[in-house]
Amino acid sequence: MKNKISFFFKPYAAILFLENRVAGGLLMLLTFINPDIGISGVFALLSTILFAEFSQMRQAYLEHGFYLYNSLLVGMGVGYLFAPSFESFILIFLLAVLTFLFSFALSTLFSYYKIPILSLPFSIVTIVAYLASLKYSGLFSTILQSHAIYTLNLPLYINAYFKSLGGIFFLPYTISGIVMAILLLSVSRIMFMMSIIGFYFGVGVHTLLIDSWVGALNDHYAFNYILISLALGGIFLLPTLYNYVIALLGVALGVILVDATQVFFNYYSIPIFTLPFNMVIIPMLFLLGTIQYKGFNKIIKKSPEESLSYYLQTLFRFGPNVANIALPFSGNWNVYQGFNGKWTHKGAWRYAYDFVIEKNGKSYDNEGNFPQDYYCFGQSIISPISGYVVSLRGDLVDNIIGTVDRINNWGNYIVIRSDLGFYVELSHLMQHSILVKEGEYIHLGQIIAKCGNSGYSPQPHLHIQVQYLPTLGSATIPFRFLIYKSSNRLFFHSLPNEEESISSILPNKFLQMQLGFVLDDVMRFEYYKENELIGIQEWKVDMNYLGEFYFTDSKNRLFFYNNDSYFYFYNYEGDTNSILAKLFLLAPRIPLSNLEDISYQDTIPIKLIESKFKRTLLEFFSTFIPNISRRDFDYKITKGTIISSFGTITLDKSSKGFSKITWGENNYLRRIS
Amino acid sequence: MSYTKPTINRVDFAMMSKYGSPHKTQKVRSSIDGVDLHELTKEYGSPLFVFSQRDIEDKYRVLKDAFSSRYPNVQFGWSYKTNYLNAICSIFHNLGSCAEVVSEFEYQKARALGIEGKDIIFNGPYKPKEALRVAVEEGAKIHIDHLFEINDLEEIAKELGRTIPVAIRVNMDTGIYPQWSRFGFNYESGEAYDAIKRIHSGGLLKLTGLHSHIGTFMLEAKAYGMETAKLMQLKNRVEKEFGYEIEYIDIGGGFASKNRLKGVYQSPEVIVPTADDYAQAITDAIYSYSNGKPLPKLYLETGRHLIDEAGYLLTTVESFKRFPDAKKGYVLDAGVNLLYTSTWYDFNIELDRHYNGLNEASMLNGPLCMNIDIISEHIMLPPLDRGTILTISPVGAYNVTQSMQFIRYRPAVVLIDNEGKSHLIKEKENLETINQNEVIPEHIKIK
Repeated sequence: MKNKISFFFKPYAAILFLENRVAGGLLMLLTFINPDIGISGVFALLSTILFAEFSQMRQAYLEHGFYLYNSLLVGMGVGYLFAPSFESFILIFLLAVLTFLFSFALSTLFSYYKIPILSLPFSIVTIVAYLASLKYSGLFSTILQSHAIYTLNLPLYINAYFKSLGGIFFLPYTISGIVMAILLLSVSRIMFMMSIIGFYFGVGVHTLLIDSWVGALNDHYAFNYILISLALGGIFLLPTLYNYVIALLGVALGVILVDATQVFFNYYSIPIFTLPFNMVIIPMLFLLGTIQYKGFNKIIKKSPEESLSYYLQTLFRFGPNVANIALPFSGNWNVYQGFNGKWTHKGAWRYAYDFVIEKNGKSYDNEGNFPQDYYCFGQSIISPISGYVVSLRGDLVDNIIGTVDRINNWGNYIVIRSDLGFYVELSHLMQHSILVKEGEYIHLGQIIAKCGNSGYSPQPHLHIQVQYLPTLGSATIPFRFLIYKSSNRLFFHSLPNEEESISSILPNKFLQMQLGFVLDDVMRFEYYKENELIGIQEWKVDMNYLGEFYFTDSKNRLFFYNNDSYFYFYNYEGDTNSILAKLFLLAPRIPLSNLEDISYQDTIPIKLIESKFKRTLLEFFSTFIPNISRRDFDYKITKGTIISSFGTITLDKSSKGFSKITWGENNYLRRIS
Repeated sequence: MSYTKPTINRVDFAMMSKYGSPHKTQKVRSSIDGVDLHELTKEYGSPLFVFSQRDIEDKYRVLKDAFSSRYPNVQFGWSYKTNYLNAICSIFHNLGSCAEVVSEFEYQKARALGIEGKDIIFNGPYKPKEALRVAVEEGAKIHIDHLFEINDLEEIAKELGRTIPVAIRVNMDTGIYPQWSRFGFNYESGEAYDAIKRIHSGGLLKLTGLHSHIGTFMLEAKAYGMETAKLMQLKNRVEKEFGYEIEYIDIGGGFASKNRLKGVYQSPEVIVPTADDYAQAITDAIYSYSNGKPLPKLYLETGRHLIDEAGYLLTTVESFKRFPDAKKGYVLDAGVNLLYTSTWYDFNIELDRHYNGLNEASMLNGPLCMNIDIISEHIMLPPLDRGTILTISPVGAYNVTQSMQFIRYRPAVVLIDNEGKSHLIKEKENLETINQNEVIPEHIKIK
């Protein structure tokens, strides 16, 4: 029941880009300061649900918020114009159905391009409604009713902001604006900031154009600036300085559109409401989405702060969102040419790596006159990903040193289609050395060929690139190497420099099994404090409805993932002082390889190590300086134990998981069966 | 002037590029690890065996990484018979190898180097009972080759009043030819199982390991996968039936080096499996057949693969002549007396510098006054001078241990360390070293 009621609040919050149900409840209550609006809004929601249930489309409005918030807006829009009456209810019901139809049609069309429909259905339907209402004399217009009591006597330039904010809910009064501003501030400082900046920037631009400060402040549709500023400055785009500039640009465009649409629609006495907002945001997101703009907020969380900290934590720990592949060899190799290399990695083919083996600064023995003098010639090439072999060629001869094959410049090659959709091409392989077949499924780490000297290859080397398309030699895209070792340090999701000597880290089945936790696996520990037994800790593996796995001590949840190259924790929910939370700090990431005396860095989310107050500040300021919320720690692996400033954690030799965990002053857990 | 047959040679058009001439016809090596060859022969004499510590260590690490990165619990055993020079063995022991010996002589050599009994694997078809007793007392890993050894060990167990942990050697069909079937007990016929049954019934020995060695210079990594699979299946069976806990499996040696077998056209880089190939085949099989039980320790007795390419033989051209069939013949100061493996390898032969002139068909002969002393029957070489130093490689495996003292003294052996400094690790023989074990009965002494 509680869920059902709070479900009802969601569309109210969604209008302000919020997910918070309490905020939704408050906003709903707020609409009742003008009961016409409050009642009409609720009725519109009920109508939509009724229609959806009647047409057996429950799933649609449950999954997609826009069905409900668009009709809510339509309902409030009608309430703004007409007092509730039998006739207005009929109108609202019909418009709710129309909104539903438009929402479905538009979302189906737009989803092809991955563009949100925002409140476009509302904008269209209200135009229809107001045009039609010109003929409906049975409805009682309330538009001239004054609700002046809700307007405080503040200076115009302050009042205008609150009124505009309130205008989003058809409540253009100071009081409603203040309530909404407080709501924004409490949920997100960034949103609060952007609402102010967006509003005054829009008003500023408008003032310049119409040459009237008062006129600009009094514009009924100035709330569009706020909506545009919020949408681009933290909701659909990440809250970064760069995107704030885009947001303000959007606001400036909004000014023009507000004026243009007003001139046009006022002629027919049609209010434009959020039409300018939709007209700015939809093309903007279409463009940015199509060019795969980096600042796009791919995973929209409850607030811009959360979106940003999730994005930053992912960026710090797992690098940018590009293809990640393993090194295509084992042992120690040298980077001969990297991205934008000085010889051949140029233009469309700039995202590629060439590797050779060097000893004492030379890639060959003696004078290097023969391919077999080169250390890498004949070395095993292993698959850097799991996927299907889409094409290959293996019959080309290995060039005599000093000659190249200009016709078949890729030489003997293999193109593999990753399970994740991208393609990896490996080139210059040795003649007749390819061990796999076209169409074969190959696994990460499987030996697939030998390094050779075929194609445009003046000396034996391995060329690797990542492509969107399977065609041999098609344009390359950026990628990263999942894991590698460089002078006793591990690097994750990085790119080695030219000339750098790196070693590949082969995943080890033994460790894959040891950290291959499955549902209902249990680890039990005795908890000692200063050598005294305090109690028992028991962690069990469980899964949520999204298919995410986590350890739980029945209260808190620690989410983990095993990507076959390393095991890692990526999220924690619950009391940050629990022992389970310590596990994240002690072993945020465990390479699944047999390693000794090797260290690496990892970034710990600030929510696990900073106080709530400090976190709030950090989250806000990291929109300007992202690195202030970065907390790096060093980890070292020695004899199956991971040592860090947080404590130590030892892998169990005889069963899955950990045998001993120590932290702080004399706290430790000892595994019991 | 007498008539000699003319020689006909192809003229290669040598086009220059940034990388030099594309038609490389002379293989040149002027130094080993930065040490000039002429300086080496000047200091230590010619012929001369030279070992590169860097090559040994590099090769060891690559193989070790290939295995340990896939399978953590792996141990290398240095195959003494491949090369038991004390310095060479020491390098391997310092790298972490234990010792794998096949005779009491090698056993003693390992002990003399300070290797403890528990770090010695004692293999071989002939282990004198006295040697076995010492090995048992010192805790060596004994790999039983035949039934008589079981009897011998049981007697020793009775005498010492304790159970002896043992392993047996198993031979099997892994799809390769020739099948090595004369060592240990056969797998397919059930002989190996019977031997274990016999050990179990005796109650004096405890089976803790399984060993096999499928052959030498194996060019097919898959054979090791099959060998490992069979050992793992045997392990699973005897653990189940006899309650033994098999702590380790030893898959022996036989990994090929980058030497070129006679009659093989392709270069070794093309046909010799890489360390990764061997490692993947073996470790995959262990995981596949582990049956969820604790994974056994994996022993490898790799010899040739680790040392062959680290060894070079320097030899000097002493004279040349033209044979009646127009072939050029060179006489070197090293021959098959020092190159036991020349029977089956076409060595890599490198010149100390570039020589002017066209390549012509040549033959390299050793110093023995015997028709069979041929190092290379047919090799294309430019006209060489007297005093030219040829580097013959890879010769690190078996040549030092099997070189003959026949009409000449065996040469010195030098090790070049990681800093490029040379060290004498074995002196050249002299009359005294050869005569010291000889005895002339009083009545035939020359007065």
